[in-house]
Amino acid sequence: MNTIALETNNLTKRFGGLVAVSNVDLQIPEQSIFSVIGPNGAGKTTFYNCITGFYTPEEGDVTFYNKSLVGLTPDRIAQMGIARTYQNIRLFANMTALENILVGQHHLLKTSWIEAILQTPRMRKEEISALEEAMRLLRFVGLGGMGDQVARNLPYGAQRRLEVARALALKPKLLLLDEPTAGMNPNETVDMMRFIQRLRDELGITILLIEHDMRVVMGISEQIAVLDYGIKIAEGTPREIQGNTQVIEAYLGRGATTAA
Amino acid sequence: MKHHLRNGLNAGIVFTVVTIFLFLVGFTNTIADIIGAILRNESASLPLGMTPEMLNLLIFFFFIGIWAGASGAKKAPGEKDSWTGALLAGGLAGLIHGLFVGLLGWLLGSLAVAGVRMTVYFAQLLPVVIRTFLIGLAPLQGAIFYLVFFFLTGILGGAVARGLGRGAWRHSFSLWLRAQWQKVTNWGLVKFFKTNKIARYILFGVIILLFFLLPLVVGQYWNYTLGTVGIYVLLGLGLNIVVGLAGLLDLGYVAFFAIGGYTVALLTAPSPQHLMWNFWVTVPIAIILAAFAGVVLGVPVLRLRGDYLAIVTLGFGQIIAVLLKSDELTEFTGGPKGVTAVGAPTLFGHSFNDPVAFVYLTLLAVILVIVVTIRLRSSRVGRAWEAMREDETVARAMGINTLSHKLLAFAIGAAFAGLGGVIFASRNQFTGPEDYNLMVSFNVLASVIVGGMGSLPGVVGGAFTLKGLPEVLRELENYRVLAFGALLVVMMLIRPAGLIPTSRRKMETGKTPGQDAGPEPDPQKGKTP
Repeated sequence: MNTIALETNNLTKRFGGLVAVSNVDLQIPEQSIFSVIGPNGAGKTTFYNCITGFYTPEEGDVTFYNKSLVGLTPDRIAQMGIARTYQNIRLFANMTALENILVGQHHLLKTSWIEAILQTPRMRKEEISALEEAMRLLRFVGLGGMGDQVARNLPYGAQRRLEVARALALKPKLLLLDEPTAGMNPNETVDMMRFIQRLRDELGITILLIEHDMRVVMGISEQIAVLDYGIKIAEGTPREIQGNTQVIEAYLGRGATTAA
Repeated sequence: MKHHLRNGLNAGIVFTVVTIFLFLVGFTNTIADIIGAILRNESASLPLGMTPEMLNLLIFFFFIGIWAGASGAKKAPGEKDSWTGALLAGGLAGLIHGLFVGLLGWLLGSLAVAGVRMTVYFAQLLPVVIRTFLIGLAPLQGAIFYLVFFFLTGILGGAVARGLGRGAWRHSFSLWLRAQWQKVTNWGLVKFFKTNKIARYILFGVIILLFFLLPLVVGQYWNYTLGTVGIYVLLGLGLNIVVGLAGLLDLGYVAFFAIGGYTVALLTAPSPQHLMWNFWVTVPIAIILAAFAGVVLGVPVLRLRGDYLAIVTLGFGQIIAVLLKSDELTEFTGGPKGVTAVGAPTLFGHSFNDPVAFVYLTLLAVILVIVVTIRLRSSRVGRAWEAMREDETVARAMGINTLSHKLLAFAIGAAFAGLGGVIFASRNQFTGPEDYNLMVSFNVLASVIVGGMGSLPGVVGGAFTLKGLPEVLRELENYRVLAFGALLVVMMLIRPAGLIPTSRRKMETGKTPGQDAGPEPDPQKGKTP
């Protein structure tokens, strides 16, 4: 297949005696939609935090286009092109939708504080183009006209989409989505699935997805990895995962496979 | 029914406590004086042997009584809006209010008659105050009078609340205000200024000019107060960057103020350093030193958040205060005695020292600092600060280097405080350790919070409230601080977001009018399955 965007080798993260992520090896191909699933507490979000630099793994390596991410600060990793959204929406609640997106563009802008004070022509030009880009993104996620609303006051679905728009503002090569359809009704879920596919098809972004809704996972993923107690117990296409006895056991308990 | 009784009872008790408290601290007399000043009835002759003071006090109590009744008659959600209920609740609130206020009057009156000197216990309770309170009546008569008085005003209050639709009046009032505002903005002259850019600039110019002329008109005392307020505005604007924008709770802010003040003092004063440099040379040095100190403080506390940060910065503020007082450094800083004969600014060869000139200097500094703040806030840097305040973890995940932006916030905030310190020390021609106690930090923080975190007009308003209002409240003398504290509490209850909360910039509607809310049709949509 094509090039590997993100690769983890033997990735291990411990909290005291608890091994939250244990020897996980993954290869995420460029421009794919890759899902990580597992029961609650399986270590999915810890896995995300290891990639984005909020946790330093005890063992193993994470490489992004063959560059190691271990030891880099979260902001450096974000600047390299990895953006994320959160399970429980974490917008900058008291800033407007547009400002949220502008924050996402932070590392793409070059204005220093001195230039900001002096209001140099370069700075003004940059601000205007940043604003145009932010409005373009706002329309891209279907929030045109809501840009001046404070994020806190947006409806739930709009907040989810705004979070994606903010992540897109970083111009990421890899987008980590943490339960993007949590709390959505079936219609909204379908919309979000289409939207995620659009991100990949139109913008060429590699998508790494944590999701509990199996219709979403099975519907849009090309590859799925299953974590249980921090260990990768299975990996494969949706069809392969659906038939995997180990996965069914992890979700439903040991009795489930024998009874079936 | 039960609900009315409970509400009335509650309102009655609350207003009893408030009224008695206000009376005991002498606030009621102050209000009566203010009403007297407004009505200009100091020498009016009144029936029944009433003095103007009594009348003014009753006018104040009249409003309080109506308020108590209206508050008691508040409607519960989903409850039927009945006249009887409102009047009942208002009357009950008034009855209880009047009962206790009357009891107080009876008690104080009897004690006064028995010859007890109440001023020993409460400085405000002079015989004349008590006599005014009892409207010149005998203790028992006065108590009955208050019972009836507050009962009637309570019923009136209930009627007022019901008549105005209870609760809803607030809404209709704001609608009315907005309608009035619309009318005003539609006036030909206002419209002219709104649409004509040059005219607007001229108008602003005239307003600023008038403000600039203000110091020439008011007296020396008010100029001094104005200057103090201005310095607090400077400090508030600096702390606003650190606390209001970047969300870093810094309680040691006074340290940077001290560094600014001491830098200019040591460099310009004849002793203890014998340098006597020119004032203007020392200004940038002081600002840079303060900013540098901001960075120095910033580095160790970078990883701390919230409460921990507050405690560590508090310690830093204390360290500076202790250092300034310490004997070890007396040779260098002048020790507890401070530094005298701090240099004044010079202009075209002659130095100026009067408060008016300093008001202008402060005003210029404030304008400069406001411009810098506005420009920073609307830039990439300001957005990064605000993102950090909202959610530091996410800000980092968005590619913001939070470490460098925190340091920048500390440095710029400290620089503003340093500038404030320079003006402060130079104006007083003296600086000492006592000028830089912890209360300065708290006062500045309070002015930022009272004004509205992150809001520039808020900071200015907050500084005027915190440093200007106490001067206005001088009437209250000993109870000034108490009344001031009560006012602050009340204010934060009424306006929790501050006097003038920050408003977000409207960037989308400003640039693309008529944008519809629907998603933009995408030419490539067909590609998705």
